[in-house]
Amino acid sequence: MRSSTKCIALSGLVLALGLYAGVARAADAAAEVDARQAAMKGQGKDMTAIKAYIDGKGELAAARTAGSDLVERIGKVPSLFPKGTSMTDLPGKSYARPVIWTEMDKFNAQAKTAADKAKTLDTALKGGDMNAITTSFGDMGKNGCGGCHEPYREKKPS
Amino acid sequence: MAAAVATNPIAKRSPRNASARHVAAGIILTLAALAAVPAAADDAAVARGAYLAAAAGCDQCHTDSKNKGTPYAGGRKLASEFGVIATPNITPDRATGIGGWSAADFARAMRWGIAPDGTHYVPAFPFPYFARLSDGDLADLKAFLDSLAPVSQPRLDGAESLGLLARARAAIGAALGNASAPPPLAGDAAIARGAYLVAAVGHCGDCHTPRTWLGAPDAGRYLAGSHGGLEGTKAPNITPDPQTGIGKWSEDDVVSLLKEGIEPDGDFVGGPMAEIVRNTARLTDDDRRAVALYLRALPAKVFVRNK
Repeated sequence: MRSSTKCIALSGLVLALGLYAGVARAADAAAEVDARQAAMKGQGKDMTAIKAYIDGKGELAAARTAGSDLVERIGKVPSLFPKGTSMTDLPGKSYARPVIWTEMDKFNAQAKTAADKAKTLDTALKGGDMNAITTSFGDMGKNGCGGCHEPYREKKPS
Repeated sequence: MAAAVATNPIAKRSPRNASARHVAAGIILTLAALAAVPAAADDAAVARGAYLAAAAGCDQCHTDSKNKGTPYAGGRKLASEFGVIATPNITPDRATGIGGWSAADFARAMRWGIAPDGTHYVPAFPFPYFARLSDGDLADLKAFLDSLAPVSQPRLDGAESLGLLARARAAIGAALGNASAPPPLAGDAAIARGAYLVAAVGHCGDCHTPRTWLGAPDAGRYLAGSHGGLEGTKAPNITPDPQTGIGKWSEDDVVSLLKEGIEPDGDFVGGPMAEIVRNTARLTDDDRRAVALYLRALPAKVFVRNK
């Protein structure tokens, strides 16, 4: 009798812990997605500042700050995609396609490509040559940002 | 021909009693010049057609880019509202492409969605938009496609795999889709050009306009956003509604999106639009601006969910 009570209590405890862990994990995952989306918005802000300079609407100094910020942010992209944060894990919140986690090597390689392009853009900004800046900006956008968004992002989070 | 020889500068310069060799040379040069005239006209048509094909993004669907397929040779499996469609080969291969097609065959396929064998295409092929193409542009497009190297690419299962109901729907939708009036082309020349690029050549509504249950574009919701975009994606509202559309975008914002893929917040488009930007990046600045002017001149509509 005693042992069965103990057993029930124990399973109750395990169940409660399990539920707690599950809820905590979901909350963690949601927080991860928030952080990821904030990081992406930050990168967008950097790109806007660089474009403003190219279009003659912003200062070079601001574009340079954005360039080095972009390099730093893009380097962290692979760490922003922990397991359990896809659009199927968190429908209506995450828009990251599950294929990211089935081809993580390819995804990381694409992130590396984006990081390299960000460095090229940063170097061009430091150099100050408008042609180099415009070209590397276009390449960064289309093949860096777009290179990941095209296969891996379902839609833009609003 | 005699008149042509007479106006040939070489023939003119020849003395009256020139040797037969000189006259022969003059005739040969004249013939060569005459032969070159239609060829030069063809080159111009091919170049114009190439530009139109880029603006229309033909290669986007008609290339199996995932498997490194030859451009325009088809074979891309496309998830559409009508099921999975394998896109056809539009290179001029006679057996597996459109090599044997007459101008009339091409026009019927482009404007009415009917293949030379009488079968109907599903409206994932944007014939309701191409129906608005001018005769000249249609001819230029055909000249361009005919200039491609023929590729033998056997037809994969396409519309054949769709259910009878889907095909019947498509056939009726096709007929009605062509009956719907084209959107108003008001305003100056640039806006009219933008209207033609958006509503005919670029067939933007193929993704950005929801469809009626028959599969035809819903004219009342023109460009107001749809959940039925290519590959099952959501295509946003591109009318100037400030909340759900592009009402807060400047003309330059639209131009930048079409040129670089950048949105006003520094985000870069993904999904099918990233592929489209590769083509809109090849347009002239004037044409991108014309598209922007037209979109911003449209009546604003609010995006309706589940439409």
